[in-house]
Amino acid sequence: MLKDIVLDIAYYLDTSSTYQKRKRFFYDILENDKNKYKKFIDIFMIILIFISVAVLIREVKYHVDDFLLFFSNYIVSFFFLVEYLLRLWVNSSVSKIIVKRAEYDSFLLRDVRLSKALKEAFLVKIHYMLSPQAIIDFLAIMPFFHELRVLRIFILFRVFKLFRYAKSIQIITSILATKKFEFLTLAIFAFVVVFISSVLIYVMEANQANSQITSLYKAVYWAIVTISTVGYGDITPVSNEGRFVAILVISSGVAVLAFTTSLFVSAFTEKLDEIKEIKTVEGIAKLKKLYLICGYSDVASTVAKKLSKAGNKIIILDKYESAVSKAIKDGFVALAYDPGSVESYKKININLEKQVKHILCLNEDDVENVYSALTIRSLSKDVEILSLLINDKNRKKLEFAGINKIVYPQELVGLITKELVGIPVAFEVIHELRSEHANVKIDELGITQRIVDNFATVSELDNKNYRIVLLGIYKTSKERFYFNPLDDTILEVGDYLLVVGYSMFIREFEKYLHTKVRSE
Amino acid sequence: MSKRTALIFGHNKYAHEIISNVKKTYSNIRIFALEDVDDDSPYEVEKFDLSDDWKGIGEDINIEESIAFCVLQDMAENIFLTISLRSNFADLAIIAVALNRESANKLSMAGANKVIPLVETTADIITNILEKPISSKILSNILYEESSLKIAQIKIDTESKLDNHKLVSIDWTRYHGVIILSLIHEDMKSEFIYSKKMKEYVIQSGDILVVVGYENDITEFEKIIGSKRYVNWSHWRG
Repeated sequence: MLKDIVLDIAYYLDTSSTYQKRKRFFYDILENDKNKYKKFIDIFMIILIFISVAVLIREVKYHVDDFLLFFSNYIVSFFFLVEYLLRLWVNSSVSKIIVKRAEYDSFLLRDVRLSKALKEAFLVKIHYMLSPQAIIDFLAIMPFFHELRVLRIFILFRVFKLFRYAKSIQIITSILATKKFEFLTLAIFAFVVVFISSVLIYVMEANQANSQITSLYKAVYWAIVTISTVGYGDITPVSNEGRFVAILVISSGVAVLAFTTSLFVSAFTEKLDEIKEIKTVEGIAKLKKLYLICGYSDVASTVAKKLSKAGNKIIILDKYESAVSKAIKDGFVALAYDPGSVESYKKININLEKQVKHILCLNEDDVENVYSALTIRSLSKDVEILSLLINDKNRKKLEFAGINKIVYPQELVGLITKELVGIPVAFEVIHELRSEHANVKIDELGITQRIVDNFATVSELDNKNYRIVLLGIYKTSKERFYFNPLDDTILEVGDYLLVVGYSMFIREFEKYLHTKVRSE
Repeated sequence: MSKRTALIFGHNKYAHEIISNVKKTYSNIRIFALEDVDDDSPYEVEKFDLSDDWKGIGEDINIEESIAFCVLQDMAENIFLTISLRSNFADLAIIAVALNRESANKLSMAGANKVIPLVETTADIITNILEKPISSKILSNILYEESSLKIAQIKIDTESKLDNHKLVSIDWTRYHGVIILSLIHEDMKSEFIYSKKMKEYVIQSGDILVVVGYENDITEFEKIIGSKRYVNWSHWRG
C-alpha cells in the first residue's frame, strides 16, 4: 500500500512538467552559469557573506546593533539554509531513481524493490552532502545556533562559500589542482624536514639553560617559522648543535620556497592560454547577431576589419595558431579551433541559428571551405553560409555542401574589367557609391509601420528636399525591385528604399521618415 | 595594320575570365605568357620575357585604341611588366591586377591606369553582400548581369538640348524614366547630382552624365537630349 503511494508520487513528479520546470528553474539560478539571473543570486549571496563577516569582526570589541545581530544570525542563516536545501533538492532526482528502478524491475517481471531505490537515492544525496562544497554550505548555516558561542566561528565558513560564487577563485583552484602531485611531493618534503628538524632542535635545545625551546610544540613552531623563511626571531637556538640544525632548516626552506614559487608560476603559465580561452568562450555565449569567420585568410582579415568598422561582432575560427595570433593582434576574438570539426562548435557552445547572422568560409582552399560548410550544415540547416570559391571547377561541390552564397574572385576580375572597358566613368561612380570612404553613398532604408502610417505613397517622401536620389523600391512581398517608382507607388511594411545621397543627408532623411507625424 | 587590341599578359584563371568578358569589345586579343603554354590551351599564346623592348607590338597595333591587362601571378614581375609597358607606350591604357593594397599602390606608381586590388575588391563585395544585400544585388544586376536596367555615360555635345541649361532647372529624378546620378566635368571630376557645387551649375558641352535606366529609356533619353553614349579612358590619364 505505502509502496504504491510512493511509486505513484514518484511517477507523478517525474512526468509533471510544472514540477520539472520549477526544479529546472532553481537548478539554473543556482548552478547554470549561462542563466542570466544566476549572477544576481551570486552577488546577493556574496553581500550576505560580507555582512555577516563584518558583524563578526565588529562584535569582537564593540557592541553591535541588535537588528544587525539578528540579521546576521537568523536572516542570513535562513537564506543559506534555503540555499542548502534547494541545492540538495536539485542536485539529483529521487523520483527519477525510483521510476528507473520500478521500470527495471517490471521489465524483469518481478516485484518493485522500493527499498533498493530508496537506498540508492539516499546514497546519492549523502554523496552530495559529503562533498567539500556541501560541507562548507552546511557549516555556514551553523551560526543559526549562535547561542552556542563556539558555533559563531562558523561564520568564517561563510567566507569559504565565496569559492562557490566567485568564478576567479574556482579558476585558481582548478589551476592549482593540475599540479596536485607536485604540491603533494612538496608537502611531504616540507613535512619530513619540519618533523626531523623539530625533533632534532628539541633534543639539542630542550635541556640548554638559556634556550626558549622548552617543548616539542615550540620546536615545531620554530621549525615552521624558519622553513617558511619568515623567521620571526622570537625563538632562536642557543647551542652550536642547535644552530647547525638551523642552518639545515634554512637551506631546506630556501629550496621549499623556490620550489613552491616555481610550481605556482608554471601552473599559471601552462594554464594561461586555457584561461584566456575559457574567458573568450564565455564571452561568445553572450554575443548575438555575430559574424562567424572560418579561416583567417587575407580576404578574411579585410572583411573582418570592414565588418567590425560597421559595428558588427566577429568571431574567428582557424585551425592554425599563427593565423589565430594574427587575428588576435588585429583586435578580433579568435580561437584556434578547427572550423571543420563539430567539436569546435560544441566547445564554443554557440547556437548557430540564434546567435549567428552569417557564417563566412574564407579559406583560400576549396577543400577546407567545403569541409567547414558541411560541418556547419550538419549542425544547422538554416544558418546562412557565404564562401569563397578558389577554383571554378569546385563550384558545384560548394553548392552541394549547402553554401548559400559563393564569391569567386577570378570571376569578379573578369566582370570588373568588362565594365571598366565598357563604361569606365559610370563604373567608377558605382564603385565610389559602394566604397566605405566615399561621401556619397548608396543605402537601403527599411519601411516600418510608423513610416507607412505617415507616408502612404512615394510622392509623399519628399526625398528631393533632402537632396536624395530615390533609385527604387525593393518590394519584399514580391521579391522585386521597382526602379524609379511612380509617384503613386504604395509603401508597404518590409519594403526597402534604395537611396543615393550624402551620408549625412541620408541619416537626416531617415530621421525625418521615422519622426514625421502626418498632419490631418 | 592598325586595330583595337586587348593585350593580356599572363596565362591564368584571371586571363581566361578577362578574355571571356572583353572579347565582344575587342576583336583582336593577344595573349602573352612568360612560360611555354601547353598545346591544349584554347587560345594562341605568345611567349615573352620581361627584358623585351616591345618594338613589335608598337608597329602592328594602334596603341591609343588598345588596352593592356597585366595579370601575372608574381606581383614583382607584374610591377616590372607594368613599368616596362609604360616606359615604352605612354598612351597605352593599362589595367593591372594586384593582390592587395600594397602592391596596388606600387602598380599605380609603375604607371598602371587602373588597378584592381583583389583582396580589397573581394572583401568589398562580401561586405556589401552581407551589410547591404538589396543594394548589392541591384548594383550587381545593373553592372554585371544581363538585366534590362543599365548604367550609361552620356556626353553632352554642342548640339545637345541640355547644353547651357542650368542643372537645377531640370527635374532629374523624373526625366523620361532615367535617373541621373552624377555629372563629370571636362577635368574628369565626378560630382553627385545633388552636391552643393551642382546647385548653380550650367551644363556645358563636354560634360558626361552618368545615368541609370532601362535600355529603351536611355536610348529615348539620348534622342531627346541629342547626345550619345560615350566611352574612352582619357580620364585615366594625366
